[in-house]
Amino acid sequence: MSLFAVFVRRFNIFFYLAITLAGLGALLTAGLFFIALRDLPQVPDPLGRIIETPPTEIFAATGERLMLIGGREVVPLNRISPDFIEAVLATEDHRFWEHHGLDKLRTLKAMWITLFERGKIQGASTITQQLAKNLFFSYRRAYMRKFRELLVALQIETQYSKREILEAYLNQIPFGIGAYGIEQAARSFFGKPALELNLAESALLAGLPKSPTRYNPYRHFARAQKRQQLVLARMLAVGYINAEQAEAASQANLQFAPLAAGTPRGSYFLDLVLNDLEERYGPEVVYHGGLKVSTTLDPQQQAWAIQSLQSGLLKLDQLSGISDTDEFDAPNSQSHPQGALVALECNSGAVKALVGGRDYSETEFNRAVENNRLPGSGFKPFLYYAAFEKLKLSPTSVFVDKPITIPVAGAADWRPQNFGREYEGPMILKHALMKSVNAIAAQLVERVGPDAVIDVARRCGITSPLAPVYSLALGTSGVSPLEMASAFATFATGGVRHAPFWIRRVEDPLGRVLEEHIVRGQRSLDASIDYQVVDMMRGVLTTGTGRVVRRAGFDLPAAGKTGTTDNFRDAWFTGFTPTLSVSVWVGYDRGVSMRDVNGVGITGGRGAAPIWADFMIKATSGEPAREFTVPSDIHFASVDPINGVIAGQWLQNKVKVALRSGQEASTVSVQSADQMTDKTPTQQVDEPSTQTTDQPAIEAAEDSAIKEEELPPE
Amino acid sequence: MTDWAEPSDFKEWGKRMFALRPLLIFILISAIFILELRFDWMERFLGSYLVTTNSARPESGSIWEKSHQTRTAQQTLEKILTDRQALQREARSAATFTQIAAKVSSENGVMLSADHFRQLYMSLAPTIARDIISPLDLLELVSTGRWHRTYFEKSGSGLIVYLLDADNRVLRQLELRSSLLSQLERGEVTLAGSLDELPNFKNRIYTADQFFQSLKSFHEEARRSMVPHPDLLLAAPGQIVRVGISDETQSGFIELGFEFIVGNQRRVLVVQGQEWAVWRLRGHLEGLERENAAGSTENRKEDWTRQ
Repeated sequence: MSLFAVFVRRFNIFFYLAITLAGLGALLTAGLFFIALRDLPQVPDPLGRIIETPPTEIFAATGERLMLIGGREVVPLNRISPDFIEAVLATEDHRFWEHHGLDKLRTLKAMWITLFERGKIQGASTITQQLAKNLFFSYRRAYMRKFRELLVALQIETQYSKREILEAYLNQIPFGIGAYGIEQAARSFFGKPALELNLAESALLAGLPKSPTRYNPYRHFARAQKRQQLVLARMLAVGYINAEQAEAASQANLQFAPLAAGTPRGSYFLDLVLNDLEERYGPEVVYHGGLKVSTTLDPQQQAWAIQSLQSGLLKLDQLSGISDTDEFDAPNSQSHPQGALVALECNSGAVKALVGGRDYSETEFNRAVENNRLPGSGFKPFLYYAAFEKLKLSPTSVFVDKPITIPVAGAADWRPQNFGREYEGPMILKHALMKSVNAIAAQLVERVGPDAVIDVARRCGITSPLAPVYSLALGTSGVSPLEMASAFATFATGGVRHAPFWIRRVEDPLGRVLEEHIVRGQRSLDASIDYQVVDMMRGVLTTGTGRVVRRAGFDLPAAGKTGTTDNFRDAWFTGFTPTLSVSVWVGYDRGVSMRDVNGVGITGGRGAAPIWADFMIKATSGEPAREFTVPSDIHFASVDPINGVIAGQWLQNKVKVALRSGQEASTVSVQSADQMTDKTPTQQVDEPSTQTTDQPAIEAAEDSAIKEEELPPE
Repeated sequence: MTDWAEPSDFKEWGKRMFALRPLLIFILISAIFILELRFDWMERFLGSYLVTTNSARPESGSIWEKSHQTRTAQQTLEKILTDRQALQREARSAATFTQIAAKVSSENGVMLSADHFRQLYMSLAPTIARDIISPLDLLELVSTGRWHRTYFEKSGSGLIVYLLDADNRVLRQLELRSSLLSQLERGEVTLAGSLDELPNFKNRIYTADQFFQSLKSFHEEARRSMVPHPDLLLAAPGQIVRVGISDETQSGFIELGFEFIVGNQRRVLVVQGQEWAVWRLRGHLEGLERENAAGSTENRKEDWTRQ
């Protein structure tokens, strides 16, 4: 048998084999078709129905849109830049105008590569197939899913014109940063409508849908630019542009719009809003109901809050010797201290700024709301208020700063200690709060009882669980920065509490009001006692543990309190002016100590107060100096901080105190016996043993880093 | 089927290769292939078939899920809004605070205009109105121009009323206690003290005997209009000693104050009688008074003459 005969014979065998296989293949395809048909989704008519979901929009207090959820900003093809249309066609499906939903040549090529080239998977989806996938199917890779996708694409091609298909596609593709559809993308990235996109911008945007996160130009500009050049090369290859145009576009300077609508900025706040809305209306209404939500956020203050917190934390990194700034770009929340800042309007409770961490894209855990950390001495104002109210003490009452031991039923004795284990002897209560003396705070809580402190904290707005133990007064029950800012705002308003809120008004898509917040205040504290505590907290800023605030240049009337917890795990500063209450927390998520390069612990005064001051300087710039309202029964006296006696002209370190009617500063040094001597506690409560030996709240900002100054008169 | 045998020469080769059957098969397959490539008839055929089955297929897939969620969300919103609007509508049509209190639930408050609140306030008897807020305080609020709306909220079985500015800040918070609402419903109010302390009543105070003697002279229908809820007076503890009639009329009503002695304390229970009926009663009482006065003058004259 000749070679030719062998060939013919084999050819015949292969030929008939191929025909048989083709027949079998056709039968199999028909079978698959009918199997696939069973679950094939219905295609909506008209196709535009895909974009009927009204968007939920969240607005700032200024009216600026903060976020758009769902919905699409639909534009017809003639309102989209031809450059962008061509860029998409060149990149995604250059034979779009010719095929009928399936690009057979490209599919065969892709199949060949996928089957015979190891490790490579080639896609060949046409724009119609991508549209079908986006509309009906999940992103899970499965052959049956792919087949169904193809069938739907074939139906779409039969049912709708090419222009309708392209329009639907361009109006729903995701571009990242929360932008869906070309109009939204053009506005988000370049601050212009889709019609005005130039070639360079079009090429950049056309490259994003492949992987919106990977090519996000705000985070990975080099990658995005490389992808843009690939798109330009495709356009050149397809013949949409010439080499000069491609070159010019690749060299063009892209002017990105600042990150705003739909971007991660302010998203700790937006998370709070969304969680709240979900609780009230359910996720379906929030994400598909087209709500119009007006919030209390002040975008400018929010920007300053982010700026102040981030720069403060960077300084803290430097102070602690964490110099790997690259890590900040590719962050690791465990290796850097975190922080939170909440600012709210005192006379309404409206949250004006809220930052729950140093970088939302790094970690979405909202430390401003969800992170209950020990407030340390930041809790003392509640104790002092309780002591004034229940024990009728005054800022001039004299206590002795000395080592004390408080027996605790069923546990070891509690021995709270001062920072540095130094004791100053007798001093008035105002001086004790300004210097954040733990030994005196412990004596007060022993007398007034933890329940009274809890009562005051609750009246001020602290809602977290509080353990009724002595050490509570030194801040051993966790609270959030939002709670602290809100509770201190009660002090700022003369004792009138306004519950914090962040949603001002919710409307349906037609503008009908679903709810609106009513700003109501409730008198929680006695105005005069409240003023006395505020006056003492003012001293914290002028000569006490928070004086770094004044050094930083913040000079408006304000009051506040630092807080530092055991082993410098948390550093706080919460303070307020008559209009704005702000709480700042810094610390590590995993609760390790914050220490500088010399091993010195970072206190509230060093870690949190500078951030507070930086923010407040910006947030109150241009505001006139507003004084705290002085109740009519308050009078002032200058006294000796050691014995509370009215100070003479010659005394250098006299302290001005606020006294209520009936309270007078004495003219001679008289101290009650029980104030000056050790006394046995009359009230005992269960105290966890872990809190008895370790002093739970160590406070004395900058004591180790900054030399204590002589107290000047206020 | 015969076994295949190799052709012996090229002629045989040619004959076999260009025989009709292989040629037809080749042309057919090629034609099918080229036509499919050129005209996509298979895709079109399948597409057309799928269009015919479209309406029978399920509304499944992400876009339909989204559509269903949107529909559910819209229905939920519609329900919330319908309930809210119905509540608002009913509240707007309410003519009294008690009607509003009946509408307001603990979940849903009611927002009304400042003017509407003023209308409701003005319809109250002055003694009751003053108990809620002094008219002068209200006047001051109105004059500032800051008071825009009023929000009613359930508080236990009473109402809290917030007078709000344009930013929804509370300018003034009022409380309508459940006891006050009950009194409003019954049209009465109890005040501590005597009739002499109430300026509206001090010009027309009669003894209980005088009042009830006079009342007795009217027929039943008129008496019911004069004292619409005698049961309230019966239910009140203590003994009625005096009755006052107010100088002021209010929306077709005149207040009557019944002074009780309870222990060693005096209380005034205020009820509203219909204006026309109370006028008649007042006229009758004044007539009796004049007669009594004339009678006493005559008696004095007689006594003097006798002397």
